Amino acid sequence: MSSQETNDVLPRRKSDDEADLDITPMIDITFLLLAFFVMVSKMDPQLPVDLPQALNGDVIPEKNCVVLVVLKGAGDDEYSIYKGLTKAGADKIVGDDPVEQEEQIAQYVEETLSRNPTIQTILIKAEGEVTTGAVETVKRGVAGSELGLTRKLYVAVESTQ
Amino acid sequence: MTDKEKNENPEAGGPGDDSPSESGEFGLAAPTGKFGESNSSDRSGVGDPAANVSKTAAKTPGDFKQMNWKGFEEEEEDPDPSVSFGDDSETKRDDLDMTPMVDVVFLLLIFFMVTASFTLQKSIEQPPSKIEDPSTNVIEDPEDEDDYVEVIIDQTNTYYVTSRDAEEVEAPSDREMRDRMRDAKRTTGAPRLIINAHVESMHQKVVTVWDAGNAAGFDEIEMRTTDEDY
Repeated sequence: MSSQETNDVLPRRKSDDEADLDITPMIDITFLLLAFFVMVSKMDPQLPVDLPQALNGDVIPEKNCVVLVVLKGAGDDEYSIYKGLTKAGADKIVGDDPVEQEEQIAQYVEETLSRNPTIQTILIKAEGEVTTGAVETVKRGVAGSELGLTRKLYVAVESTQ
Repeated sequence: MTDKEKNENPEAGGPGDDSPSESGEFGLAAPTGKFGESNSSDRSGVGDPAANVSKTAAKTPGDFKQMNWKGFEEEEEDPDPSVSFGDDSETKRDDLDMTPMVDVVFLLLIFFMVTASFTLQKSIEQPPSKIEDPSTNVIEDPEDEDDYVEVIIDQTNTYYVTSRDAEEVEAPSDREMRDRMRDAKRTTGAPRLIINAHVESMHQKVVTVWDAGNAAGFDEIEMRTTDEDY
């Protein structure tokens, strides 16, 4: 209201309120950043896969799947296959010969399924740019495993709806 | 500015002067009321002195203590017009109630946004492939059994849609492939879709055809690969 009153009263109020207001949003933002980085850090080890787009599809939880990732390489025909979602060097399928790759995939699928017999699905996460032949190599590798043939085979897509 | 200040200053002096007088009134008013009661009791006590004296004696010590405490508290708070501190504390409490709730809401929002982005991934079921060389797949023709619609994807990622008796029609775009496949499905009523893809075609194209086949309502979708240029 008046200048004297404001001079007398407001400085106290401001000092009190400012102290409270300075702390709480800072804590809020800190928690938000914390949550953000926790989320992001969990995602990090996963391979970024540029999935092909499709309108329809089933929702399959990745946790209950044997996952195989096919990424596009530098050239048109080049591709790399990974066992599982992570980019660890040991999980990469080595060799250029499709027959060798199929054997490794079949071995991986067979081992994983015999260790975890409750897994009912095999999920191929292949990038849209990858050639059909590369995906077919993975499929034949899965078919090379006896246990793999008894499970359902899914190809991951990105839902556009 | 100076006029306003001059105008405001007397006003400022006004409440400042009023407040002590109010405090004085409060300080005075409380005891006077009590004294009034005691006086009235004394006056009425002329008739029955003993009973009234006992009543006043019983009342007075407790009342005085209460009066003293009230008086002290009011005198401490009153002299400043900063009685509004009480209001401030209430508003602070209101603010403190709101902020954590808003925080939690935002956190939940972010959580659900993150989880929602993960459910974007879906999957299409495909039959396991038969372990045969891709070239031998093309030679055998099991298409005699049923009506079928066939979509060929060649090495340049071009679609060709054919059905049992129809000629192959080139479909340059995804949309045209979808339309032609739906027309073929409607005219022939074929239950089967055969996808014949070149090994060098893009995986995206196969998925698009498969997706269109699911949308068109085929009971069975079969996939073959070939390495022969079309």
